[in-house]
Amino acid sequence: MASAETYLADRPIATVGDFFALLKPRVMSLVIFTGLAGIIVAPGHIYPLTAFSALLCIAIAAGASGALNMAYESDIDAKMTRTASRPIPAGHIARTDALVFGWLLAGASVAMMALFTNMLAAGLLAFTIFFYVGVYTLWLKRRTAQNIVIGGLSGALPPAIGWAAVTGHLALAPLVLVLITFLWTPPHFWALALFRSDDYARAGVPMMPVVAGKPSTRRQIMAYALALFPVGLAPSFIGLGGPLYLAVSAAFGVVFVGCAILVLREKDDAREPAARRLFAVSIAYLFALFAGLIAERMLGIAPLHLLGAWS
Amino acid sequence: MSVIDANDIRNARERRKRNIALALMLTGFVVLFYLMTMVRLGGHVVDWFD
Repeated sequence: MASAETYLADRPIATVGDFFALLKPRVMSLVIFTGLAGIIVAPGHIYPLTAFSALLCIAIAAGASGALNMAYESDIDAKMTRTASRPIPAGHIARTDALVFGWLLAGASVAMMALFTNMLAAGLLAFTIFFYVGVYTLWLKRRTAQNIVIGGLSGALPPAIGWAAVTGHLALAPLVLVLITFLWTPPHFWALALFRSDDYARAGVPMMPVVAGKPSTRRQIMAYALALFPVGLAPSFIGLGGPLYLAVSAAFGVVFVGCAILVLREKDDAREPAARRLFAVSIAYLFALFAGLIAERMLGIAPLHLLGAWS
Repeated sequence: MSVIDANDIRNARERRKRNIALALMLTGFVVLFYLMTMVRLGGHVVDWFD
């Protein structure tokens, strides 16, 4: 009995910070930002409180997905340097607790979205969680090098959810925003995988550099960067963005492609400085594009009259 | 002070922080549900306060 008491006392209880870390706050911030862009650029009126609630639901759903991902992948996280200090492998939170926490938040976020906005937004939110947890985490992650390509759809959907929360329907315009994030995901994660390939190999995760090798990954990053460039400009040609957005997306697009070229030419396989730079630039790229859209709408300079059939 | 005592104090402190965070979160959701009910009610109830 005494030994059991000692064990319980020795084990630190989970702190508020541990539960917050389960939500993957950095990933959540990007999802919130793209979701906010979807809400702001959507045509139509929404009460500010309803917009806030929709964004809160998107944030909670993203956090829930992160928590469930950490729970189902705790064995992988324990083997990787980058993730070994996460709350579950570090022993701060029991896996079962994280699962209960994650599913509770997931259910609450979808129910609240349905109550506060509409069924389409709630349905898309539920699909996003299902796709991230069921399709990406449980099915694809350990089985194919295309894991983050297909799984990237879940991270790309928040602008469409935000749009649906405002308008109650989907259109081609928000799907262009989804396509931007969808094409952005592979070069972003493969850049990370290039300088963390040993980590992924040790954990047995079939990321592209582990399965196809670094030269092939560099070429595929280049291909996606080239495909992303025109798609990044597209909002300006359908009325979602104006001259400011066009300038921002063109400038950051050139930098993105430039960094991808440096990754393609990289000789330092051990440190991968070009991949590290591309990883950082890719985050700035996505923030800049969506910030451009938000800024134009806030300033009232977005050429919405051109949206026409796209909205 | 034994190791167990020190851990007890630390755990009690963390548990208290967790309870406060939970209370704040629940209060926030109660307020949000109340306000959203006003917004979602028919008859533009929320506009009465403009």
